[in-house]
Amino acid sequence: MSRPLLTVAAVLLVQSGIVSAATAGAVPHYAVADLPAALRENAHAVVRYEEQTLVVKSVSRTVETNRHAVTILDEAGADWATQLVYYDQLNTVSYLRGTVYDAAGKVIRQLRAADVRDFSLSDGFSLASDGRGRAADMRQANYPYTVEYEYEVVSTNPLFYSSWYAQPKEQLAVEKSTFRVVTPTNLPLRYKEQHLPSGASVVHTAEGGMEIYEWQVQNLAAVEEEHDAPPVAELTPAVFTAPTEFEVQGHHGTLNSWQTLGQWNYDLNAGRDELPAAMKARIASLVQGETDERARIRKVYEFLQANTRYISIQLGIGGWQTFPASSVAANGYGDCKALTNYCKALLQAADVKAYCALVRADEPDIRTDFPSSQFNHVILCVPLTKAAKADTVWLECTSQTNQFNYMGSFTGNRHALLLTPAGGKLVRTPRYGVAENRRERRADVYLDAQGNATATVRTLRTGLEQDNFNALFHSLAPAEQKKRVADILPLANFSITKFSLAPGAPTGLPTMVENLGLALPNFAPPSGRRVFLSANLLSRWSSLPAAVGERQADIWLDNAFTHSDTIRIHVPAGMKPESLPAPVKLTTAFGTYSSQVLALPDGTLQYVRQLRMPLTHFSRTEYAAYVEFRRKISAADKAPVVFVKTDS
Amino acid sequence: MITILLRRVAAAVTLGVCAALPALGQADPIKFGKIDERDLTGANFVADSAAEAVILCDFGRSRFEVGESGMKIVFERVTRIKILKKSGYDWATVQVPLYKKNSDAEKLTSLRGYTYNLVNNQVVKDKLETSAVFTEQASENTLIRKFTLPNVREGSVLEYSYTITSDFVFNFQDWQFQNAIPTRWSEYRAAIPEYLDYKMVMQGYEPLAVQERDETTGQYTIRWGRTQATQVNQEAHSAGSTAITARVTNHRWAMKDVPGLRSEPFMTTVRDYVSRIDFELAGTKWPDEPYKNVLNSWEKINDILLNDDDFGVQLKRGGFLKEQTTALVAKYPDVPQRIAAVHDLVRKSVKYNGTDRYYASGPLRRAYDQHSGSAGDVNLLLIALLRDAGIPANPVLLSTRDHGMINENFPLISKFNYVVAHIALPDDKEMLVDATEQLIPCGMLPERCLSGAGRLILPDAGQSRWVNLQPSQRFLEYRQIQLVLDDKGGYTGKIHQEHGGYAALQSREKLQKNGEKKFVEEIVSSHEGWSIPKFAFKEREVLTKPLALDYEFSSPGADTPVGTIYFSPMRQFSGDKNPFRHEERRFPVDFGAQTDETVMMTITLPAGYQAEELPKPAIVDLPDNGGRFSYTVVDNGQGTLQIASRMSLRKPIYMAEEYAYLREFYNRMLAKQAEQIVLKKKS
Repeated sequence: MSRPLLTVAAVLLVQSGIVSAATAGAVPHYAVADLPAALRENAHAVVRYEEQTLVVKSVSRTVETNRHAVTILDEAGADWATQLVYYDQLNTVSYLRGTVYDAAGKVIRQLRAADVRDFSLSDGFSLASDGRGRAADMRQANYPYTVEYEYEVVSTNPLFYSSWYAQPKEQLAVEKSTFRVVTPTNLPLRYKEQHLPSGASVVHTAEGGMEIYEWQVQNLAAVEEEHDAPPVAELTPAVFTAPTEFEVQGHHGTLNSWQTLGQWNYDLNAGRDELPAAMKARIASLVQGETDERARIRKVYEFLQANTRYISIQLGIGGWQTFPASSVAANGYGDCKALTNYCKALLQAADVKAYCALVRADEPDIRTDFPSSQFNHVILCVPLTKAAKADTVWLECTSQTNQFNYMGSFTGNRHALLLTPAGGKLVRTPRYGVAENRRERRADVYLDAQGNATATVRTLRTGLEQDNFNALFHSLAPAEQKKRVADILPLANFSITKFSLAPGAPTGLPTMVENLGLALPNFAPPSGRRVFLSANLLSRWSSLPAAVGERQADIWLDNAFTHSDTIRIHVPAGMKPESLPAPVKLTTAFGTYSSQVLALPDGTLQYVRQLRMPLTHFSRTEYAAYVEFRRKISAADKAPVVFVKTDS
Repeated sequence: MITILLRRVAAAVTLGVCAALPALGQADPIKFGKIDERDLTGANFVADSAAEAVILCDFGRSRFEVGESGMKIVFERVTRIKILKKSGYDWATVQVPLYKKNSDAEKLTSLRGYTYNLVNNQVVKDKLETSAVFTEQASENTLIRKFTLPNVREGSVLEYSYTITSDFVFNFQDWQFQNAIPTRWSEYRAAIPEYLDYKMVMQGYEPLAVQERDETTGQYTIRWGRTQATQVNQEAHSAGSTAITARVTNHRWAMKDVPGLRSEPFMTTVRDYVSRIDFELAGTKWPDEPYKNVLNSWEKINDILLNDDDFGVQLKRGGFLKEQTTALVAKYPDVPQRIAAVHDLVRKSVKYNGTDRYYASGPLRRAYDQHSGSAGDVNLLLIALLRDAGIPANPVLLSTRDHGMINENFPLISKFNYVVAHIALPDDKEMLVDATEQLIPCGMLPERCLSGAGRLILPDAGQSRWVNLQPSQRFLEYRQIQLVLDDKGGYTGKIHQEHGGYAALQSREKLQKNGEKKFVEEIVSSHEGWSIPKFAFKEREVLTKPLALDYEFSSPGADTPVGTIYFSPMRQFSGDKNPFRHEERRFPVDFGAQTDETVMMTITLPAGYQAEELPKPAIVDLPDNGGRFSYTVVDNGQGTLQIASRMSLRKPIYMAEEYAYLREFYNRMLAKQAEQIVLKKKS
């Protein structure tokens, strides 16, 4: 398991907001009767207004204010009546105020200081983290009602500017939402707009040496999440902002390209890769005599995995600046920055040049066309210099169990910002596609005359297909692994009589092999003279619900993959197949599928299924065809084989 | 003098100075810093090869010290752990929560730690540095000290020790013998002077290897500074010290080779199953004074609660809503209706904030004004208002499922975390009412409350008693289906389904969360090839009735008529997976309530077809009348088939010994429900 770092950044992006609040003259009323019917449709809550403001005070200080009122229509919208404001060593909360109104717009109560909880937002795996939250809860027993919050956060970490998500979740309507940025003319704003309705794009004015940018949207009806679609926040109006220049605790940087952002990170961590002499000597002797470049890197990586572990410590600038390599050498632990920096230092001692690379792990990829701090993790990139053709080794330094040069779903298939002495450079991490992500299953099913069966199943998984099983293997004892596998086995009645899960023979890609012995009572109970049996055994793929109304979002599938199944079915004497499912072969834009049952000369049946899904993104207009493809697969997967008893 | 000091100590505990240490005759099972070097190799751990780590020894000792301003508990611990796998590295990071309240606190001192590794056959030890120790303010009253040991690898032996000095003599340090990983030896010793009487509660499924006690005399040195009488009942005295001798009981408990314990489905909380010992102060016996109960009977708990500002006193504070309760009395002369009306008033006035407590967070009026409160606030208000409305209501204390079960033999108030209302009805009938949930009708408890028994608190302590929390409501599912098959194997139909009792609650919660459209979409997506052209929910708002859903469905068949139709009618209307996938279970299966699922189906055959093969009727019984599954198919000869399938689980809890039967019960039921009917075209 690899783990992310820089968690602070992500939280901050979501929580930021701000302003000149508290000065609105008359007491606002948010009578529910004033709400347009169109905004109530399909909504659990309606944002009556939101004013989010970012004021850039200087190169090293920003103030964010947020005021908003949300009408809660029903219990499912009640979360919008709570507010969490994040802070840490570099961010302080100036105030958090709240008021709750009844349906008529009459004040029910004001939030008092004593009602605000202050607590650690420790993520559960960090040894030390300065992330904290102030939380208010103004949920009410009677619906509808309206909550109004305002808060201000002063930040001395202007590496991160605000993001404005006007409509961040499904089933939330928005009456009006405004985002303002006020910045000195000498600190110009950079921004990127997403899905803004026409007429909502930026209004830019200047006044007294300040530049003012403002966006506003109105009357956004609630949307609903769809199957196999991007998250709602990716489909609704948003604006992302970033500085051109910033300073964090005395570390000054410019940000107008990936190159400059990378430069700042590189400089911040420069000189922290010095190893104790004893460690240098140890590495030198470790790789002595090993001339192959890749083999040298592997030896160093295995040394790292055997001698360090991941411990997260996130305090202040420590969220971005690594602990020195000497500290890891002494204690044997560090966070992703520290371990990656340490591995880089170890490789240096082995005469191999490596580069730290920032990524956004375990989440959608960064917006590559908007250079800004969007990362939460660090990995190590090692370009091979002696290879015949360009080749690169990628190392996940926080994992003690990852296979050498394997990124997995955590950091594979995305962009990374390489940190070099010449600055940052955007590159791609390894791709895991249809050829890499494979599941190959072979099974023998032995049926008896009473309808009970036993089976042996061997499943080989590679690439992303094996990620979860690899994690299972490394994190739990075999008895617990077996329970987890039992929990996901798509069979009604079974006992696992034999179980093993282990890495397969080493190849370039990680492989896991699972062997199961199964007892399947009443697997195919005789129904009079006949017996019905599902030849597919374990690989049924479900159909999708038909789209209700017009499909709004494009189709996003997780990963490309290939599945193949070969099942031999052994039936007792006195039984013969009465009807076999017709062979099915589907060739579509989404992928290809085939399944077929053959009666073999030795009296057994052989079921062969192939599913190949090479692509992951399709246009929304193809959704109906995709549903049809899945329906046909599902129907074919379930087609039963019918046997009839010949001796009666 | 001494008595006064000691007593003062126990009453208002703060700092103290040191004292004598009563010795127990037994050698310590572990000495910090003296590891067995054989533990650094793998040879000792062949049998534990599946575990990520093993606790070699966990040794704790608690004793008392007396000082200037009070008595303190000193708890010392030494723990040694063998790391076997990388997944066990987390055992090298330790969190110690420390509680504080006002000027009283728990303090951690003498923290030491080492990691031992075998490097080139040499033992190398690395010290825990102070830079690896952190403090986190988790909440207002809780600090967490966290530390992590250096250079941990597969095969490392870790050792740490620390001392916690506590001002809270009422909270004697509890001890847990069992962990998520195997424990070779876990030992706890407690030296308790005669002045303090603790109740000790042992629980779990593992045997004790050692349980002994002996008595010694202990010397306690008491020092005090000069005090001036500032209050009438205080005495002035000058500084000094004295030594007193007290009888000390030395307890020793140990467990050997304790297996690791992990959570399983249908458990209340792992804490109910783990082997542990808990302590609660029951009484004090100061020199020259009679024994004084602190907490030693349910009757006494009854009185303490009734006089508590945040409990009994609040029950008399419903008067601020007098106008409303008076109006309800006038409007609802009928008692059940009046109860429901008060329940409704509370439910719609105060939102449960998710905090479970049996006491009020302050005046009930405040919770009412804020429209928000804990379970204690909500249900004490309910009881107060019921009383004001002339209904004989009283509190029932209970412990929620995730908080752990109550041991009726030990009157420990700290084991409760929840309160509901008990109402005495005519003819010796009674009901339990909770007002924390918007979707639960009056007279039904939330699932979290289904945990054995609760303690009814009555004005007359002698009448207070246990109340069974087992609900009369069940997980009730009923389906009535009219299905018409066509000659291509497709079908259309109508279904009327009802979700009652706890199933109604679950369905209403889902409906509230997802809305009607998504609720129905979920049904569609779990039925291959289905479409649902029409649906209607009924009784969404009438919580006392089952939630009903009527819908029409259709599923296409083949392109052309088929001569033989194979149809598995129950497949679409029953579960498809045995919830009990694991072969064995050490603990009870706790559903909380009984279960009843019925499907009545009428199938109209396509014209010209007749049933060739039908599943045989079946009855499956659980032992001891614990449950039954029955299944019949009847061919009426007029082109229709009648199917009746019914499953009832009559117990809310099945013991571990019944697990195999329960699993097999599901096996047979699922197999029967999967059986096909075969229809042939009449020639």
